[in-house]
Amino acid sequence: MLTITPYHFLILSILLVGVGFLGLLIRRNILLMLMSLELMLNGINIALITFSRVGNNLDGSIFVFFIMTVAAAEVAVGLALLVALFKKRKSVLSDDMALLKN
Amino acid sequence: MVSVALCMLFLPLLSALVTLLFLRKNGSFASLLSVCTSGAILIMALSLIFDRNADTLAWDTTWFQLGGWELRFGFLIDAPCRLLLFVVAFVGFLIHVFSLGYMGDDSARPRYFGGLSIFMFSMLGITLADNLIMIFVFWELVGFSSYLLIAHYFKTDESANASRKAFIVNRIGDFGFLIGIILTYWVYGTVNLNELADLADFSPSLATTTLCLLLACGFIGKSAQFPLHVWLPDAMAGPTPVSALIHAATMVAAGVYLLIRIDFLFTEDALGLIAFMGALMGLYAGFCALVQRDIKKILAYSTLSQLGYMAAAFGMGAPGLALFHLTTHAFFKALMFLGSGSVIYACHHEQDIFKYGGLRKRMPLTAITFLIGVFAISGVNFFSGYFSKDAILLWAYNFNLPVFILLYAGAILTSIYMFRLYFVSFEGESRSEYAQGAKENSILMTGPLILLGILSIFGGYFSIYPIELGSFLRADLSISDALPNHMWMVVLGTIAWVVGLLFSRLTYSRVSNSDPLSKGLPAFFEICQSRLFFDEIYHFFISKIYDPFCRFLEVMELLFISGLMVRGSAGLAALLSMLSKLCYSGRMHTYVFWFLLGTVGFLIYSSGLINQ
Repeated sequence: MLTITPYHFLILSILLVGVGFLGLLIRRNILLMLMSLELMLNGINIALITFSRVGNNLDGSIFVFFIMTVAAAEVAVGLALLVALFKKRKSVLSDDMALLKN
Repeated sequence: MVSVALCMLFLPLLSALVTLLFLRKNGSFASLLSVCTSGAILIMALSLIFDRNADTLAWDTTWFQLGGWELRFGFLIDAPCRLLLFVVAFVGFLIHVFSLGYMGDDSARPRYFGGLSIFMFSMLGITLADNLIMIFVFWELVGFSSYLLIAHYFKTDESANASRKAFIVNRIGDFGFLIGIILTYWVYGTVNLNELADLADFSPSLATTTLCLLLACGFIGKSAQFPLHVWLPDAMAGPTPVSALIHAATMVAAGVYLLIRIDFLFTEDALGLIAFMGALMGLYAGFCALVQRDIKKILAYSTLSQLGYMAAAFGMGAPGLALFHLTTHAFFKALMFLGSGSVIYACHHEQDIFKYGGLRKRMPLTAITFLIGVFAISGVNFFSGYFSKDAILLWAYNFNLPVFILLYAGAILTSIYMFRLYFVSFEGESRSEYAQGAKENSILMTGPLILLGILSIFGGYFSIYPIELGSFLRADLSISDALPNHMWMVVLGTIAWVVGLLFSRLTYSRVSNSDPLSKGLPAFFEICQSRLFFDEIYHFFISKIYDPFCRFLEVMELLFISGLMVRGSAGLAALLSMLSKLCYSGRMHTYVFWFLLGTVGFLIYSSGLINQ
């Protein structure tokens, strides 16, 4: 019978981070890029909880709470910026936001 | 008394400052201020000299401190200082008064009189200073004021070039002087004259001989001795009273005074060298003076030759005689320069003696006082120069025969060129319309002449000097009095001036517009006229050796320092910035990619995979 070991959780976490990162690289829409970021953070959360469980202490779990808080704050700020940008530039594509070059 | 000395030193500086700030447009006030200042200096100098309380006044205070090293500012008023103080203050005052007349119609009087005041300040500083560094500071200041005053007529190329030449040539000598001061500090650990006098020992070593020769470089530059004598004749481009004050009576004599101040440092070898060079200069300048046409240049060369006498006297171990000759020379040379100034003023700035002639009838006072100067410098019996010069000659005769021969030949030449100057300018027929129209000048100009004339007659009787002035001279002069062959020297001295007088009378009493020597002895005339090609040699050295060397250095500098090092490092930074700019696309995805690469790289590094 197939037992679920901490390795499986870690592989899932790496996959999630990888998917999130690829999304970040490939997507041009900033809204989707933000979502990919969230995906990466959640992947990391899974890894941390796994370590917490394996190590039999609460360190990792506590850290997860921090990451979730930061992620929530980041999304709030990021979305607000995005809305402001959209009002200004009528676009949410990252290619249109290369104005700092030169 | 210290406060009087301080007051005397800084009063002329204050006067120059006031002139600079408030009186730049007001010539009459500026000149009056400067003359009053010099009068006040004279009074204060006299009160310092005749202060009965102290034999030697030594005072000093801290000027500034650098870490543990401090620079002192102080006065050392001893016997030689008193005598020079008198000469500077008295001659300075007379020349200020003369300038009132001579520069009366000059448009730049504030600049001129301000310059004179700065000069008085710096010269008094040299006279009073009690340490070598302070002397050096004022030494440079007299150099600067000399530059300023030579360049008074700066619109003419001649005087602009002459002022630069004087400054640069002096810098060469001063550089040696500066190194000498540093070496003195290194060897003895102090630059204070009193302390040096206690420390100096008479066991000559290489260091002490080098040291005093380096210090003598300052003298060579300032007193225009061989090989730096080239600036003095050119310096005659300045106004005549300046030539009288700076380039005859005081500043060039400051070199001799410096030697006298530090004579305890000198070793036997260095003294011998200075004596010989001085004697050689006495002869060389005589030959040059013999063929000059410009009245001031004749006097300039004669100054060189008399400075040579002083150097020779010092080198033979008689600083008292050197100072004595310095004093009498200051009187009669200032007299002759002012006399020439009076003539030049009357003849509308014509300076060629062959265009004068017959001035005795038109300017009797100037002519008589000038003749007194000529008598004094030629050593005519019982005039001032007779006493000082014959004392030097007698000393040389007894102690150093080669120097005596050079000096004696120089003495004959002196009387020849001086009587030549007198006969050509003042006797015979007037040879130009200026000379025909010449008139005697006002009392402002003749007054100083008369006073200096009296001093030129009686300045040689040192027994009438007050004890405060004469005490330094007395030691050497009493030795000189006791020397053998005294009568013989009187006869020789008389022969020297009589030969000069007769030769000049026969040769120059009826001249036309050209020098009789140029026809009579053309080869000799040419050699003298060439002045032994010193200017040409220096010019050759500068343009053919020094200049290319400098250009070579410049190319090296361009190539290596500003090229390779400065531009090179800037170029490297620019290259790096261009490379890193390539990574700067402005697109978010590129940055994310670099971020991933960095994270992976960091992970690989921290996991230690690379090391295995």
